[in-house]
Amino acid sequence: MKIEENKEPQHNFHSEKFLNPRILYLHLSQHTGKQSKPLIKVGDLVEEGEVIASEDGYISSRLHAPAKGKVIDIADLAHPILKKAKAIVIECLDQKKEFVRNKNVSDLSKEELLECIRNSGIVGMGGAAFPTHVKLNPPKKIVTLIINGCECEPYLAADYRLMVENIEGIFLGIEIISKILQPKNIIIAVEDNKKDAIKNINSIINLKKISLPNISLKVLKTEYPQGGEKQLIYTLTKKVVPSGKLPFDVGCLVQNVSTCFAIYQAVYYNKPLIERLVTFAGDALVLPKNIWVKIGTTLRELFDKKVLEFKVEPKKIICGGPMMGIALDSLDYPILKATSGFLFLNKPVSFLEEKPCIRCGECIRNCPMGLMPCLINLYTLKQSFDEAKMLGALDCIECGVCSFVCPAKRFLVQSIKNAKLNLLK
Amino acid sequence: MKFIVSHSPHIQKKETIQKIMWSVSFSLIPAGIAGILFFGYHALLIIFLGTFTAVFTEAFIQILTRQKITIKDGSAFLTGLLLAYNLPPSVPFWIPIVGSFFSIALGKQIFGGLGQNIVNPALLGRVFLLASWPKYMTTFVKPNFNLFNFFKFDAITAPTPLSLLKEAKPIGVTYLDLFLGNRGGCIGEVCIIALLLGALYLLIKKYIYLYIPLTYIGTVGIFTYIFGPSGFFKGDWLFHILSGGLILGAFFMATDYVTSPLTTKGQIIFGIGCGIITSVIRLWGGYPEGVSYAILIMNLSTPLIDRYTKSKIFGK
Repeated sequence: MKIEENKEPQHNFHSEKFLNPRILYLHLSQHTGKQSKPLIKVGDLVEEGEVIASEDGYISSRLHAPAKGKVIDIADLAHPILKKAKAIVIECLDQKKEFVRNKNVSDLSKEELLECIRNSGIVGMGGAAFPTHVKLNPPKKIVTLIINGCECEPYLAADYRLMVENIEGIFLGIEIISKILQPKNIIIAVEDNKKDAIKNINSIINLKKISLPNISLKVLKTEYPQGGEKQLIYTLTKKVVPSGKLPFDVGCLVQNVSTCFAIYQAVYYNKPLIERLVTFAGDALVLPKNIWVKIGTTLRELFDKKVLEFKVEPKKIICGGPMMGIALDSLDYPILKATSGFLFLNKPVSFLEEKPCIRCGECIRNCPMGLMPCLINLYTLKQSFDEAKMLGALDCIECGVCSFVCPAKRFLVQSIKNAKLNLLK
Repeated sequence: MKFIVSHSPHIQKKETIQKIMWSVSFSLIPAGIAGILFFGYHALLIIFLGTFTAVFTEAFIQILTRQKITIKDGSAFLTGLLLAYNLPPSVPFWIPIVGSFFSIALGKQIFGGLGQNIVNPALLGRVFLLASWPKYMTTFVKPNFNLFNFFKFDAITAPTPLSLLKEAKPIGVTYLDLFLGNRGGCIGEVCIIALLLGALYLLIKKYIYLYIPLTYIGTVGIFTYIFGPSGFFKGDWLFHILSGGLILGAFFMATDYVTSPLTTKGQIIFGIGCGIITSVIRLWGGYPEGVSYAILIMNLSTPLIDRYTKSKIFGK
């Protein structure tokens, strides 16, 4: 489905840096799985890159101090997804650490590479935040490794800028993943609106700068939700991930380009995931920007320090893209490992009043999972969750297309999410 | 600063029910103009009374039941318009008033308003009129295409081509007459080219899809060709497609969202069903025309069709 992209002008703006925040809110729950266990106590002094919380269980991830500073609090703070969650608060000291290049990367074994990724606290940076060391250790052989550079959500441009400015790093990251998984082939998927990224990737592949003979670039139509894992696998390999199964069941694995870059930094520089590129956009800003920020930097600080400025008062702040992002109620939210952007909208375009369903079938025709959202909606409103399940409510990927196209402005995806919550209880 | 906190998605297509309904009404304008040109000012009066009563009834009931008044969404207007298009041009002025009232009150609002009705309200109104005042509803007049005769209404009665066929009398119209609308019939159904023009607009805007109209018209064509009165595989299929209310019904009434199946598969079954029932009534039934009954019967089967034509879930 086509959606207005709204990627201009941030698509063309070179990334900036804001790496000296005063305060950092580091949520213990930055990832899918169990939250990290804090290893420090209030009053401790931490160094940049020091582990401040360890993984708890298999599906969990580590947390590092993004800057040198003092732990001033461990408290429940605003979290975009969990509303309130435990976070470590660090007051930063103005001191930068240089991460030196690791000389013997090529000597590292598969196990050592995985260990390095685990130690660096890397999670999927496209939004799902699944711990990468777990994903890269699948129980089945991976045939096709897919590198996701689609960034199909409107407004967001961070992945694109990364592909334009740091493509070598991304390729070195892919090389590391390839060494771990030994896939038969690697496909980089990019949408056709990312011209400069396509040029960059092609030049690297054509000049054989990287020793990956089985790599290819696939330029896809700009379409939403092109970057959805199951949709992307189907588009590229025509393999259908069965309902309730994971990509590795059909021999595929999808990694986001930002995650590849984080892996490169972890392995080549021993630099844990402590900063990322984030898009800040929307009609309420004087200028949209792509900024390298420390994980844990709050929105408020970015505005206080005039890194970002409001042109007009925003009516809505969204963490993530406009299709799947979460509306925030204040500026006191920090950047998480999987946050790819924030939107500040003065003229929100979503309707808040529902009209009756006229059974036009638009939601059915556009659902990438082949569901019937209008019917699931009706059953959910009647609390008939079993019927909702029969109609495939649990297969919903929550992309929001149904609510986007609905002429009656019904809360379709919202009610399906509700059905899922009730079914998974 | 205060911010709006709402669920994703935070952007939405600008499409609304209102836009769709008014677009369908808009697409019916050429057919209406043709009807008025053929049948004079009386046709215009019927269209006006039909739409006005429909909108008035909707507002009246919504006031009585203390609901929000939703006449702006255009659905009541469209129902009144379709009902008027389905009336012979010579009916007395109170026929569209009674019909529209019945359509909105007992065809739509009694079920809970927009989206809740089980059959097409305009067609329900029409068959109510047909059952109650069959004489008015089956008397048709000769078209009189003359711009200067606009205010002259000389009701020379003329049977419709389909009723002539039923009585095995010479029909006396060419395919071109049928195509342009130069024949006896209801106000909005006669001019095929004007209807197709409107349908094309809706297809381009993607407000309707071809599944129902194509299977419907196709089935009528094939069925009447095979079982036509003049012998097996000798039926005049083109005559059957162009006459009566088939084009109006197939493109503008059978495609009504609320009362037709949700999935493509279901819509194809629906279209074929409509086609078979229409042909059976036309060839062997008591009435010369069967479009209204065919669509109404298939409207009633829609829940059943929906039950057995679920969409295919990706990965299941």
